[in-house]
Amino acid sequence: MLEPLFGVLALFPTADDLLKAIPEVKKRGFTKLEAYTPYPVHGIDEALDLPKSKLGVLVFLMASLGAISMFLFEWWTSTVSYPLLTAGKAYNGWPAWVPPMLEGTILVGTFTAALGMLFVFNRLPFFGNPMLRSKAIDRITREKFALVIRPGAGGLDTGGAIAALKAAGGEDIEVVQAPRYSKAGLAWWSKAIGAVGAACVVAGYGTAWVIRTFPTTRPMVEMEDQPRLDAQAADTFFASGRGMQLPPDGTVPRTFMPILAAGPGDGGKALMNPLPVTDSVLERGRTQFDIHCAVCHDRLGTGKAWLDSTYKAQPTDLQSSTVRDASDGYLYWVISRGFASMPAYAADISPDDRWAIIRYVRALQRSQDAPMRDVK
Amino acid sequence: MSAASVRRGLWALAALGGGGVAATYFLAGAQRFWVNWLLWFVFGTCLALGALFLVALQHMTGARWSVPLRRAAERIGALTPWLVPVAIVALFSLPVVFSWTQPDAASLTPLVLKEHWLNRPFFIIRLAVCVTLWVVSYVVLVRGSVRQDETKDPHATVRLRRFSPVFMILLALTITDFAFDWVSSLEATWYSDIFGVYLFAGAVTTAIAAVLLAVMHLQRAGRLPGVTRDHVYNLGGLLFGFTIFWAYIAFSQYLLQWYADLPEEVFWFQQRLSGAMEYVFIVLGVGHFFVPFLALMSRDDKKSWTRLRWVAVWVIFMEFVDVFWLISPVLGPGIHLGWPELSFAAFFVPAGLLVLGRAMRLGDDMPTGDPFLQAGLDFHLP
Repeated sequence: MLEPLFGVLALFPTADDLLKAIPEVKKRGFTKLEAYTPYPVHGIDEALDLPKSKLGVLVFLMASLGAISMFLFEWWTSTVSYPLLTAGKAYNGWPAWVPPMLEGTILVGTFTAALGMLFVFNRLPFFGNPMLRSKAIDRITREKFALVIRPGAGGLDTGGAIAALKAAGGEDIEVVQAPRYSKAGLAWWSKAIGAVGAACVVAGYGTAWVIRTFPTTRPMVEMEDQPRLDAQAADTFFASGRGMQLPPDGTVPRTFMPILAAGPGDGGKALMNPLPVTDSVLERGRTQFDIHCAVCHDRLGTGKAWLDSTYKAQPTDLQSSTVRDASDGYLYWVISRGFASMPAYAADISPDDRWAIIRYVRALQRSQDAPMRDVK
Repeated sequence: MSAASVRRGLWALAALGGGGVAATYFLAGAQRFWVNWLLWFVFGTCLALGALFLVALQHMTGARWSVPLRRAAERIGALTPWLVPVAIVALFSLPVVFSWTQPDAASLTPLVLKEHWLNRPFFIIRLAVCVTLWVVSYVVLVRGSVRQDETKDPHATVRLRRFSPVFMILLALTITDFAFDWVSSLEATWYSDIFGVYLFAGAVTTAIAAVLLAVMHLQRAGRLPGVTRDHVYNLGGLLFGFTIFWAYIAFSQYLLQWYADLPEEVFWFQQRLSGAMEYVFIVLGVGHFFVPFLALMSRDDKKSWTRLRWVAVWVIFMEFVDVFWLISPVLGPGIHLGWPELSFAAFFVPAGLLVLGRAMRLGDDMPTGDPFLQAGLDFHLP
């Protein structure tokens, strides 16, 4: 089978010879030329009338896009999604966004330059270039400079091309055929993507298997792996031998509020709920109740939550008449000091949040035992 | 217009400006006079030191392409000896515009801590040391190179290559000290470690622009045979690079002080960001960075001499705006721009051009004694 023609090739001993040959070949009417050289040759672009690469424009556009996306990302995360005050700056603290914007510009710009060059302008992947089949290719990569006359729209006058190259001083003239290479079709792409996917799956399951089989293996050193004092751990640094220290005598933490009641009976008289009944107080109470209380007392306060069956405990039914009739001060005392198997929550819930929870519990009770006038 | 008539015009303008400069002292006040004097002192020093830096950089890197252009940088470096009288006169500004010399300075705690550095005898000694080192470096670097034109002694090149790293270290120390003493210490409680680099970045950018203008001027006049568009293209690339470097340093200084938000630091930026000075700041950010950055980005831009000439003039003007932005707010809020500033410009610009015009006849137009001159002329872009 006759293979289609790729072109007629001639070798030149030096870069200058190649540059001199190009206009001579052009003079004979051959304009579709390609040059192959072992290193970049000055002036070859102009000699071959190659158009200026569009890569720069593409890189500029993509780099600008990188800067703009990073700006929007920073603006959205620190102003819209999770407004965060840093060091007393306004939310729109744009100077802090400039370094990431610079990184985004460079990252997207360099990736565009490399990948755009390979995949957009050089049209990778392809499975071979006819030049690789030529006899001259190993000398081109080493020492020789090649000029190839490619067929134009009307084909190529092979004899004329050989004569033109010979006249211009070309040696080792060779007619290069263009065998048909397979193209990267659907099958190739699915194989390539499938191989990458398979590698990910193998790596993922492999890591998981190693971690499960050798539990002390840590695939990654994380922030928790650092020298520090743990709350309940022994430590030789302090004389007491404990990591956790008691506050010095005669001091209290800045936010500490003592409970001004001796016991549940006394508390009922002494303590009043300082918070008003407002939407925001009830909303705060609901959040805190759902975090700390609902796990045992149930979200409606019925005392039948999922922990009952697990621990066989009997949490108090907050809807019962005992709790209904108890004063706010009594409930505050119970939350703060604990009751029966319920632990004290003074360390976990701030005083205001405790009062808000009580407001919310009252609302829950009302919701389950509403008088007729509420329904109307 | 002949060269002689241009020179006569420059002399006339300088004389007119000189009258305005003298009038400033008596009509607009001593403060206004000294602030303007410092402005031109700092600007001139930046230009001269930036040019010497380019000369030393060329020796140190052993670059071939820049050898034919080195004489242009050396000639701009010839401004250095002229800094001596300007610096001596500038010393008289000490009691007038520097905050640490004012009577109430003793009450400011940070100034008490800086007393060992900011006192008059030590300040004058530091200036004398800096200026001496600059003039000596100028003599070694530039005069040594000019002498080589006649002796054709290749050993001179070796000696200059050995001296250049020493000069780099001296320049790093002296320009930092100069920036701290003559710009930072105007507001003596302010401090910024990066400030010396800031002034250096602007100085080199300006010097590259000046060399670019000189090379294009001499080449058009046919005095640089063999210097091609490729050489000028490379200078444009350097200008582009240092434009980015200046912006990087300028923004780093701003970002750190903005973040830390310390009262003894941010007041300096507040002075330069409030009222009408804010517009100068915006002009500076856009004009000193974005304009040359975008104007020189593409390869074709750096091949167009028309564009390079405009960008170079613009960059030099922007460096002046930068120095104005640094120094002028000492006078208080608002933009202090009027006939005194115009007079100073009318005096120093023609005076500088006359000095540079004379310097353009220093030695041969290219370093003809340098053994690498031919290699430099053979340079072609890839």
